Amino acid sequence: MSTSGMTRRHLLASGIACGAWAVTSRLSRAADNLVAATFPGTWNDAHKTLLVPYFSKLTGAEVTLTIMLATDEVAKLSAAKGATPPFDVAIMDEGPLLDALAQDLFEKFPVAKSRHYGELLPVFQDEWGPKISIQAIGIGYNPKKIKKVPTSWNGLFDPAYKGRVGLTALNSTLGMAFMVDLARVNGGGETDLEPAFAALKKLLPNVGAISANLGAHAALFQQEQIDIAPYNFNFVQTLKSKGVDLAFAKLETGVPAWRTSLHIVKGAQKPELALAYIDAHIAPDLQSEMQKPPYDVIPTNSKVTLEGEATRVIAATQADLAKLVYFDWAKINTGRSAAIERFNREIKI
Amino acid sequence: MLPLGLFFVAFFLAPLLVLAAVSLFGDPGFRTHGVAEYRRVFFDTFTLGVLLGTLWLGVKATLVCLVFGYPLAWLCATGRPQLRRFLLFLVVLPILTSVVVRTFAWIVILGRQGILNKALAAVGAIDEPLRLLFSEFGVVMVLAQVQMPLMVLPLLTTLERIDPNLADASAALGAGRWRTFRRVTLPLSLPGVAAGCILVYAACVTAFITQTLIGGARLLYMPLFIYQQATGANDWPFAAALSIVFMISVLLVVFLLNVMGRAKRAQVYA
Amino acid sequence: MRSHRLDGERLIFDGAMVALAGIAVLFLAAPTLIVLMTSFTSSYSLKFPPDGLSLRWYAALLEARQMQQAALNSLEVAVIATALSVLLGTSGALAIGRRRDRWAKAADALFMSPLLLPALAFGFAALMYLSLMRVPLSLVTLALGHVVVCVPFVLRTTIASLSQLDPALLESSESLGAGGFYTFRRVTLPLIGRGVAAGAFLAFMASFDNIPVSLFLSDARTEVLPIHLWQIIDTDLDVRAAAASGVLIVFALLVMMLAERFAGLSKQLR
Repeated sequence: MSTSGMTRRHLLASGIACGAWAVTSRLSRAADNLVAATFPGTWNDAHKTLLVPYFSKLTGAEVTLTIMLATDEVAKLSAAKGATPPFDVAIMDEGPLLDALAQDLFEKFPVAKSRHYGELLPVFQDEWGPKISIQAIGIGYNPKKIKKVPTSWNGLFDPAYKGRVGLTALNSTLGMAFMVDLARVNGGGETDLEPAFAALKKLLPNVGAISANLGAHAALFQQEQIDIAPYNFNFVQTLKSKGVDLAFAKLETGVPAWRTSLHIVKGAQKPELALAYIDAHIAPDLQSEMQKPPYDVIPTNSKVTLEGEATRVIAATQADLAKLVYFDWAKINTGRSAAIERFNREIKI
Repeated sequence: MLPLGLFFVAFFLAPLLVLAAVSLFGDPGFRTHGVAEYRRVFFDTFTLGVLLGTLWLGVKATLVCLVFGYPLAWLCATGRPQLRRFLLFLVVLPILTSVVVRTFAWIVILGRQGILNKALAAVGAIDEPLRLLFSEFGVVMVLAQVQMPLMVLPLLTTLERIDPNLADASAALGAGRWRTFRRVTLPLSLPGVAAGCILVYAACVTAFITQTLIGGARLLYMPLFIYQQATGANDWPFAAALSIVFMISVLLVVFLLNVMGRAKRAQVYA
Repeated sequence: MRSHRLDGERLIFDGAMVALAGIAVLFLAAPTLIVLMTSFTSSYSLKFPPDGLSLRWYAALLEARQMQQAALNSLEVAVIATALSVLLGTSGALAIGRRRDRWAKAADALFMSPLLLPALAFGFAALMYLSLMRVPLSLVTLALGHVVVCVPFVLRTTIASLSQLDPALLESSESLGAGGFYTFRRVTLPLIGRGVAAGAFLAFMASFDNIPVSLFLSDARTEVLPIHLWQIIDTDLDVRAAAASGVLIVFALLVMMLAERFAGLSKQLR
């Protein structure tokens, strides 16, 4: 075969390939496509397997999920301000939500058009977007490796856990809530993290790894790189069901918790679909599905009764949820970036 | 050349100019001008530490790559044709498998309960599992593996060009293997060594995926630092200043390697 | 007596070289093999050796719509970037390949510099540039960004094959009355074709596997495969990533065998 013949054929082939790709990709993008941000771990999993199919059945539209921490979402949206936002639906925890609202990144939630907003318990209603759940944290541990289970953050100082403790960076709500609560039980609080930093210095010999985000936390447990760490209740439940040796220990000093919400991004490409997506997340039938293992997502719709593992380790009834430890995130936010910077510089293993 | 030149002006030089311009703003809100961001880079021990740490990481990974890559290239250049084909296949294969895939494998190998720790424990070399993942040692090893083809291919080219008669002549004159290698083969292959080192070094310092997946959050290198400042903190001027300083220092190291390679070559041919 | 000593030395030298090369071989091959084996696990966690064997994660790929879309995006971007790189790179190589003056050298250094500069810094610069120009991110802007880092491969291999082209051939073609374009199509192109093909191949792989530029220039709407894989590994250590890696490895092997068969790839890569 002559070289020139081959080259020409190659050129022809790649030309055809080019055209073919252009056509197929046009086709594949013809369907309506909503882009929604999701958190790692349980959230990505539950959204992928429950929420997206439920939503697609209702609307016939497809969803692209993009996994991001709330702080990163705020950064991406504020960078794209004035242009097309990179996603249509945002998922927020309380602290980053305040930042986002201050920067005017979200549309008001069209309450009148929502089918399920009125069914939410009053504490979960918010004109900027409904709360979809409560996330509670405690201590996640490997029951095969950890025989003596601590019941407070200070219990992690036990030399028996040398090199086994995992921490997570403060850019996640888990990391920040852990810091504030560590400060609280040691005499500080939202605006006084000094006791928390002092406690961390004491904890350092026990620390085996510090993950960049809570998704990586899961990897650390799976690879048995760490055996005990501050962790979200839901994440422990989900990983346990996947066969990872993991259990959740409730803190006797009070269970820190925060509310998680969904929002329509200002300038969203598909605002109607975004509304339908958020509405799907607060629908009673979806919430009761999501409350089952392996997700154990705490419901916010009044038509769904609290059941399952959460009633044992978080709160017995929906009313008891009010007794969890909540923080004033407006206060935390004032010192947040300084705390992140200080954590990055001082806490080294 | 004109179309390529125009393209580079529009899509390479212009963005770099924008980068330089942005780095001269004094605050994330683009309100003030000045060199404040560069001061933040050079007068802060933390930032300077990250920069030097990254440059040094590249040196270590490049050296490991050279120590293992050179013998491989040598074997490939002097071995029998079948062996040669097989080795070349192994060297080229990684170019074809995604960096993410290759790095991913190392998570399984280096973990606390990973293959390496289990193997070491099985032969009784260690009592406690070593911390390999999330350690600089791990990052260096993985970088060396991931970038190995960039070292071996240029080395192979120069090793193949060396006239085998030279080594034979040296041996006939009574020089031992080691002496022949040191006096003939190695000096003649230095241009290849320099080329390989430059490519590997440039690839290692900017290897975002390997650095973050294997190093974790606590080992901070420039790529992650720039990425965090650019997208997480939204501090574009600072991220731009970091990028400029990072680029220039990498170019300096590459330039040094190049000069060293050339000086050696001149020495050899003199 | 003397030769006896030398033989001992020879044994040690060759032994050391072969040992190091052997480690390098293991080093190069192990990760690929381990990913392949792990991808057949039947459990949710990535452990080696796997607890049980199954094809469930490969089956799961069929359902992974988002990953498939990312793969399609990657292919589309790589095809566009490769086509543009070949066009620009070949024309650039023809213009500077045979010239020895200072301008050609400077141009060559400029066009090769994306290989040496930290690509991540360029990605960030390109993002700021596009946002300054108010150009929204799309697969086309992503492909343009990739071209910058892909052109050097085409340029390098094409210039290398041009340097082996005998100028007398071109002259004789022209003296026989052939026009410039005819000479190019009938003489130059066939002779440098393999160099261009090897460069196109490398450019395609470089684009398909690019992270540093895509990190900044792709978003959820234009997500590409390496970024998607990195995300699901970094956030979940998702076993589907191992299966996807398996598919990519097999795909790479096929491509490599074809390239070897038709273009003598391994000869062209140097």
